[in-house]
Amino acid sequence: MKTSIKIKNLSKSFNGKKILKEINLELPKDGIFGILGKNGAGKTTLLATLMGLITPTSGEIKIFNKCLKKNKFDILNQINFQSPYIELPKKMSVYQNLIFYARLYNVKDRGKIIKNLCSELLVSDLLHLNYGKLSSGQKTRVNLCKALLNRPKLLLLDEPTASLDIQTSDFIRKYLVKFQKNYKSAILITSHNLEEIKYMCDYLIILEDGKVKDFDTITNLLKKGKKSKIEELLLND
Amino acid sequence: MINRIFALLIRYQNIALGSMPRLISIFYWPTVQILFWGFFTNYFYQINEFNIWSSLNVILSAVVLWDVLFRSQLGLSMSFFEELWSRNLPNLFITPIKDHEIIIGLLMISFLRTILGLTPAIFFANYFFNFHLFELGLYLIFFFFNLTLIGWSIGLLVSSLVLRYGQSFEELAWAIIFIVLPFSCVYYPLSSLPEAMQTFSGMFPTTLIFEEMRSLIFNSHMNLINLIKIFFINIFLLLMSSLFFLFILRVVRKKGIMINQGE
Repeated sequence: MKTSIKIKNLSKSFNGKKILKEINLELPKDGIFGILGKNGAGKTTLLATLMGLITPTSGEIKIFNKCLKKNKFDILNQINFQSPYIELPKKMSVYQNLIFYARLYNVKDRGKIIKNLCSELLVSDLLHLNYGKLSSGQKTRVNLCKALLNRPKLLLLDEPTASLDIQTSDFIRKYLVKFQKNYKSAILITSHNLEEIKYMCDYLIILEDGKVKDFDTITNLLKKGKKSKIEELLLND
Repeated sequence: MINRIFALLIRYQNIALGSMPRLISIFYWPTVQILFWGFFTNYFYQINEFNIWSSLNVILSAVVLWDVLFRSQLGLSMSFFEELWSRNLPNLFITPIKDHEIIIGLLMISFLRTILGLTPAIFFANYFFNFHLFELGLYLIFFFFNLTLIGWSIGLLVSSLVLRYGQSFEELAWAIIFIVLPFSCVYYPLSSLPEAMQTFSGMFPTTLIFEEMRSLIFNSHMNLINLIKIFFINIFLLLMSSLFFLFILRVVRKKGIMINQGE
């Protein structure tokens, strides 16, 4: 099976405390995968480890069948990330920020790609404004532009719609679903918004205390657990 | 009211005394000021009428050259801090950019900022005070280059510490240059320091540079062995600080510090 992510016995400890415990996971080449878990379950640590921001204590990560440790820069060219907790330089304009990242990803035809993405994500009017002057909703859409600049084969999203209004959240969700269908990419998303997970995701990874408790399609998980709602999967029996 | 003022007092005391760099800055500065002006006065007592103008020329040259070091260090540190302040570091490190490319970028921007910052100062010094820095000739390039190397080394060291230990070390970026100032013999010769301190100060590459600058202005002569020594010490310092920066990046990835900076 062609996989986007293959994780073998992945563990991570900070100061002796195990945050990720012997994680084994294989995700199909494309699809939207939701990661659910309580605060401190290890969701963000897992995402950061997949991007090389955190070095694992042990285990192996393969992305597009290549070992992350050995082919880091080749892999990083094909992935991207967005989080409302991580911003862009505030004193630079939206355009300056986007062109900077387009250069780092060696994007060909940068100007045209930025123009198209900004038009699709409704931020064309913001290009000349300083990033620091944008509202949360505008920042999220610009961050998403940044995350899609290199048309990533693997997109990692950490609570992409946290603290956004209903309209902006809905717009972002629909856009991401359309993006995934068009480019057959893999999207890994953490969220506490169960409606969002239900709407967007094909598969669910349930993390509990640093371990993968379950991984399957939402329908199968509900059937296996004899539950009718996703939140019941998270609540202890 | 007393309770609220007392609460504020406790809070500010915790902030000031809770971090080593802040604590050091409280005690260090008054001593530095006394030492610096003391040595400077000693030097002025030794100057006779004959070489007073040369001495003033030395002081102006020293001011400009010391600023080369300060600008190089600050230009590097501040460029890196911009990434930290804007909570952008994870975005940067998930691109295919390599760690050594970040170092090269920082060195280059620091160089540009130094040139940009100093050009008007040199122009004004030339116009208003009839001070010709370029009279140092090709040696000016040597001094400029070596002081830049020291500035970069200190900038990389400070950036590494801030990345690893957090914002309390930012104060060091502004202060570190002035911490080494009294021992660098910038505005007075090594001989104006007490004998015990001369051995210690003599180890600073900045001391060697400014001693040679004074020798060039007063005697039109420099010690070649010292110039070679200065060059290799500074190359070694830059190499060590670059390796330290790369090492800290590895530590930061191991400890998960980079992702937490965004939260």
